[in-house]
Amino acid sequence: MSKASTVRPERHETEPTHRPLVGAVIVAGFAVVLVLALVHLPREGAALPAVARYAMEVAIPKWGITEPVNEVVYGTRGFDTFGETFLLLAAVVAVIVIARHREPRTGFIGEHVAGTREQSQDGSRGGGGDEEARQAEKAEEPEESRTDRPVGTLVPDNEPIGTPGPERAQGMSVVVRVASRLASPMLAVAGIYLFAGGYSPGGGFPAGAVIAGVVLLTYAAFGYGRIARLVRPAVIEFVELVGAVVIIGCELMGLFLKGSFSANWIPLAEVQTIPSGGILQVFSTAEFIEVATGLVLAIFVILGMEHDWAGDRDEAEADNGSVSRRRRSRRPVRRSSARSGS
Amino acid sequence: MIVVNYLAAGALLCLGLYTVLTRRNLIKMIMGLSLIESSSYLLLISLAYRRASTPPVLLNPPQGQTESSLAKGNVADPVLQNFCLTAIVIGVAVTAVFLAVAVRVSQHYGSLDADRMRDMRG
Repeated sequence: MSKASTVRPERHETEPTHRPLVGAVIVAGFAVVLVLALVHLPREGAALPAVARYAMEVAIPKWGITEPVNEVVYGTRGFDTFGETFLLLAAVVAVIVIARHREPRTGFIGEHVAGTREQSQDGSRGGGGDEEARQAEKAEEPEESRTDRPVGTLVPDNEPIGTPGPERAQGMSVVVRVASRLASPMLAVAGIYLFAGGYSPGGGFPAGAVIAGVVLLTYAAFGYGRIARLVRPAVIEFVELVGAVVIIGCELMGLFLKGSFSANWIPLAEVQTIPSGGILQVFSTAEFIEVATGLVLAIFVILGMEHDWAGDRDEAEADNGSVSRRRRSRRPVRRSSARSGS
Repeated sequence: MIVVNYLAAGALLCLGLYTVLTRRNLIKMIMGLSLIESSSYLLLISLAYRRASTPPVLLNPPQGQTESSLAKGNVADPVLQNFCLTAIVIGVAVTAVFLAVAVRVSQHYGSLDADRMRDMRG
């Protein structure tokens, strides 16, 4: 098994470095310049810049909102945020393109198991890998049919202590599941409050991050099967683009109705109410959608990455030409099991 | 004394830069880039600070003050707070791009060592 060393070439004690001395000299020189610049920055006693003062003063008269940071993000500097939103979208699209699979998928994680099952039903694959795949498939079952799954072996608490890995259950132990059940609703409400109450600190960016956190928490505690119906590319990508279209439309309406891009065209509501702030709330809500789905997409797409494009040398050597068949069937769930099987 | 924060941000930036320059593991280089990112958050938030100021919020002004006197008074800089707010989310998305590239690179080369990636070396 010489390939084990090629997969994991790094050992703890001898971490390879790249010209540490040169790096240290460059960083030291850079640090000197940086310190000179930093000590001459305006300090805590400086007057507020004119941009910031303007933003503070127009918050209530012009935008009807008591939260100047939100007013800056989605109002006075709305064009900046507009650009950042599409930077975020571009980053997410880049992740999706880099991580894309050979064939279209309906879910983010675990679909290769369905391919493996198809293969084992064909009977075209023999060997010890099959048993492994079948067990893994049992563990992944909740994705398709949660209702008729046996509530036995899949819960990690029911596994005897010291069971050899890999773990079959998707969910985590009862401690994590209970904690997650308690925390997720509270976090979800807090996240929605952050963008709904736009007149108090919050806004779409932190709210989106919180909701992405709720999705991740649920995924970590209960496994992908629990959220597979909602968290799949067809849904998340669509919602993400709806958010982007709402932002473009909201900003463009200002151009058509008020003569300038990102101008407020919605009548101001009473201060300190949910609809106060005109287009700020629309933009903030759309930004919330954009950030939440964008982060969820980026994270789940990376979690679902597989060996789709790189030729797998290990398997090519081991299987002697049957690589194409393997590829179609997706990689077996765990590399180690595949190796021991072949 | 806010200059201490500035210098801490500078130190974080230098640590990140040193990591990027001298490590060969791609994941550690990405961690270095994340350090540089966080140094910018610290610097932005520290630059927004004003001595004895209130946060830039006009909600429920304290006794004896009105909302417009708050707006004209001593407040922290809302524009820099805005920059920090958006930068954090963008930073996460950009890190995701780096990580996706690192996964693909490691699949292609069977390694995360940047020194092994020499296919384009003439």
